[in-house]
Amino acid sequence: MSSEIDTDTHDGSERLGTEVPVFSSGEVEGYSADGAAHYSSSAEVEGLTEAPSSFGRLAWKRFLHHKLALAGAIGLMLIIALFIFGPQLSDYTFDQRNVRDRLLGPSWDHPFGTDEIGRDLFVRTAQGGRYSLRIGLVAALMSTIIGTLLGALAAYFGRWIDIAISQLINIVLIVPALIVLSIFALYFGRDAFRLSIVLALLLWTRIARVVRGVVLSIKEQEYIMAARAAGASHLRIIFRHVLPNVVGPVAVEVTLLLGTVIVLESTLSFLGLGVQPPNASLGTLVAEAKGNIDNDPIRVLTPGFFIVFIVLCVNFLGDGLRDALDPRSKNEKG
Amino acid sequence: MSDTLAVGATGTSTTQAPLLKVDDLTVGFRTDAGTVKAVTDVSFEIRPGEVLAVVGESGSGKSVTALALMRLHPRNTDITGDVVFDGIDLLELTDAQMRSIRGRDIAMIFQDPMTALNPVFTVGEQIAEAIRIHNDVSKKAAWSRAVDLLQLVGVPEPKRRASQHPHEYSGGMRQRAMIAMAISNDPKLLIADEPTTALDVTVQAQVMEVLHDVQEATGSAMMLITHDLGLVAGSADRVQVMYASRLMETGDLDDIFYESANPYTRALLESIPDLEGVKDTLEPIPGNPPSLLNPPAGCAFRPRCFLAAAECAEQVPGLVTVEGHHASRCLRISEMPAPVEVRS
Repeated sequence: MSSEIDTDTHDGSERLGTEVPVFSSGEVEGYSADGAAHYSSSAEVEGLTEAPSSFGRLAWKRFLHHKLALAGAIGLMLIIALFIFGPQLSDYTFDQRNVRDRLLGPSWDHPFGTDEIGRDLFVRTAQGGRYSLRIGLVAALMSTIIGTLLGALAAYFGRWIDIAISQLINIVLIVPALIVLSIFALYFGRDAFRLSIVLALLLWTRIARVVRGVVLSIKEQEYIMAARAAGASHLRIIFRHVLPNVVGPVAVEVTLLLGTVIVLESTLSFLGLGVQPPNASLGTLVAEAKGNIDNDPIRVLTPGFFIVFIVLCVNFLGDGLRDALDPRSKNEKG
Repeated sequence: MSDTLAVGATGTSTTQAPLLKVDDLTVGFRTDAGTVKAVTDVSFEIRPGEVLAVVGESGSGKSVTALALMRLHPRNTDITGDVVFDGIDLLELTDAQMRSIRGRDIAMIFQDPMTALNPVFTVGEQIAEAIRIHNDVSKKAAWSRAVDLLQLVGVPEPKRRASQHPHEYSGGMRQRAMIAMAISNDPKLLIADEPTTALDVTVQAQVMEVLHDVQEATGSAMMLITHDLGLVAGSADRVQVMYASRLMETGDLDDIFYESANPYTRALLESIPDLEGVKDTLEPIPGNPPSLLNPPAGCAFRPRCFLAAAECAEQVPGLVTVEGHHASRCLRISEMPAPVEVRS
């Protein structure tokens, strides 16, 4: 063992003196020209330029080994496909009334039955599901961006920046979300995008607190000091060294948040403050069906099932993402 | 080890202008309990290509000195003095100017290779990044250079190893990777902060050899911070001993090992375990280093010193030249017993 290494070392030191071009401030271009000429001849090295992406491949492999996460991802894709392509298989549109066909049970023609004014519930569920998913994704994405940046800035720079952001988090946290949402929804209820923004502005604090906590521990790691000693700027350190280490915990939090947003939007819609008729969301579908729950419980359960199913799939997905994105978990599973 | 010592004794010509000149460097940390002086009036020089070892116990200020040179100290820090590197006063530079020096002109190797590499990136990516911070080269060129550097520091199968993550490396291999990263921009000065402390003894010698080889091959100067006198004997040209934030003794390797004129240095040398069995028991230095918040009056080593006398409590002794550039901080140099033969 030791003799092997010794030989390597000596080879190496000879190499440095002779072959390996050493950087000096004025000769950078000369080096890269040398380097290219020297290495493009070797076919083996070509493959190596792909090596940095191997992390992505490894993560993908780990993800595939996570059964529950895979099931979550597949479930979610199936649901999205159903929501997008399902209505095209149906003869009806989401706001097409047909009073003669009111309150029908499930059949081939109307897989989920019809409502009080004869609208096809399958198409309405698909339309409502798209609406709920879109709000959930947009709001979760925006909360993640706001929360990650503010949380990372607070923890990394500390001092007054941390105090200011932490106080902001506290203020947003004590805002009663449902009341603010209700007021906003009264005015912006028809606009899914604006509703997403309001949701994001209320919910980013959860992400920010998680990120702040993680970054507080990461910034004490020696590799951050090593990066500073290598001359990296603060921005480079935050984006190259700190945030990639935050991805795992944040992935989990984002998926939980996505679930929260979908449930919160359903709550708003259930209260009549969200999407307005004739449009639907999963929440309004439950709300519309609730009056008839004694005679027709299935009509409440179908949109309810989709809410639960989507949230579950997303949470499984987040769990798998966390494991897949942690390079150290490689040896544990596949 | 002994023949590397002979090879290492290059670049000690006194005529060369110093690469790094530190004058009266004082570093104080403001704490709730008062200011802690971690470095007090430290002056020294490093000449191009020279290896300077800084030796001392934990908390003696050796790492803080290095971090202050790199301006990587924490915020609650007061620094006074002059740090002139290559004609530039580092303490006067803007943050951006300092960044361009870090990693390019002065590179640092950290104590614990287990935590000094980012776990989410491959080793090759991290070395390539260190190159690309200071050089406008393509990712591919930087990657090729990273593979070369890994080979240079004796990582077997460097092409394959470059695309592995740090957790797939052993401790010794990681420290080699850290060395590769440190020399990636051909720095003029390498600061190695206890580079082998976190490693197995069997690996320590290999890593020191790698460090020594690259230092010699690149011709960079090195500041080797350690508490291990064995490492010093094998690799340093000059040695300075620190205790309780001050330089206690400074001189050429032989001055310190064979003609030490300082009781603290003597005590350190005495406490080296003797594998040849001349000594039966280890001889630790009695007591503990003083609190830097309330340092004792007079010489900081007085409470633990075998030569201490009443005069030692009166004032902090100055650094007195013994001969050439061998200097010692002790009032009772004349009382010092003749040096004993110390195994190196």
